[in-house]
Amino acid sequence: MHEARLCLSLIRLAEEVLAREGGRSILRVELEVGELSGVAPEALAAAFPICAHGTPAQGAALNWRAAPGRGLMLRALEVE
Amino acid sequence: MCGTCGCGSSEEHAADASHRAGEVTSRRIEVEQSLLAENDLGAERLRKRLEAQGVEAIGLTGGPGAGKTTLLEATFRRLGEAVQAEAVIEGDCAGDLDARRIAACGARVTQVATGGLCHLDAHLVGHALERLELDGVSRLWIENVGNLVCPAPFPCGESRRALLISTPEGDDKPAKYPALVAAVDLLVITKTDLLPHLEFDTRRCIAEARRVKPGLPALLVSARSGEGMDAWLEWVGTGGL
Repeated sequence: MHEARLCLSLIRLAEEVLAREGGRSILRVELEVGELSGVAPEALAAAFPICAHGTPAQGAALNWRAAPGRGLMLRALEVE
Repeated sequence: MCGTCGCGSSEEHAADASHRAGEVTSRRIEVEQSLLAENDLGAERLRKRLEAQGVEAIGLTGGPGAGKTTLLEATFRRLGEAVQAEAVIEGDCAGDLDARRIAACGARVTQVATGGLCHLDAHLVGHALERLELDGVSRLWIENVGNLVCPAPFPCGESRRALLISTPEGDDKPAKYPALVAAVDLLVITKTDLLPHLEFDTRRCIAEARRVKPGLPALLVSARSGEGMDAWLEWVGTGGL
């Protein structure tokens, strides 16, 4: 249930990066999800389109890869 | 499920996204930033603020009915007059049943009714602290919402966290819920007075927990019989086993 809130953090962070680096929109978001993070990437992905609506991340693809440990990281953005 | 195409995996639609990205001038930006940083930072700020006030915060986590509030009641009974230096933030989805139990013990308490939210976080605890007078308090207990999953990635300003697993829940819980095991500093197996009636292998439970977090201290405690309460109080009072 906490994934929606994390998703909002993700979009806020992505927007900050976009503003800093310059670009119109976000095409892809790449995450790294720790196996011991307690975060379900499927739930994040389900929340993503709703949280991204009306932001530069609207319509962006969300990719994730599993990693050891407890982290939840925004690895990279693909922007235009 | 994948939010882009509903495929359920990240690889299946990776090609689709590349295709779309290929149509325009796109570039990749390496970010490498934690999404948990906001709460982590808030929790660290809380912990330092409490420390400056001479208050140590201990987190209690575990499933609903693991015995978190009951262990607190037993702890406070053992403390006698010193209970006045104890304060509790009670997290539950609804109601103030636990806060009433704690108040009856003589400790200061405030209840956070999360309204369905599955865990406490630094933000909620920060606001709960606005309602709690900490003058003369040396220990703050943060009893999380009963949940074996969601509290894991959200520290709340605790300097230590304990995970309670009660014997009726089964000895397989650490194997099934490793994220929370990885996020705590102590495993407490509660309701040990029920062991004669259950097939609960304490050694298996502890071994599974240590597979996730090597060296994790573990205690066997019954709030009802008093078994293990001395060792528990020692952990509480001395800062570690």
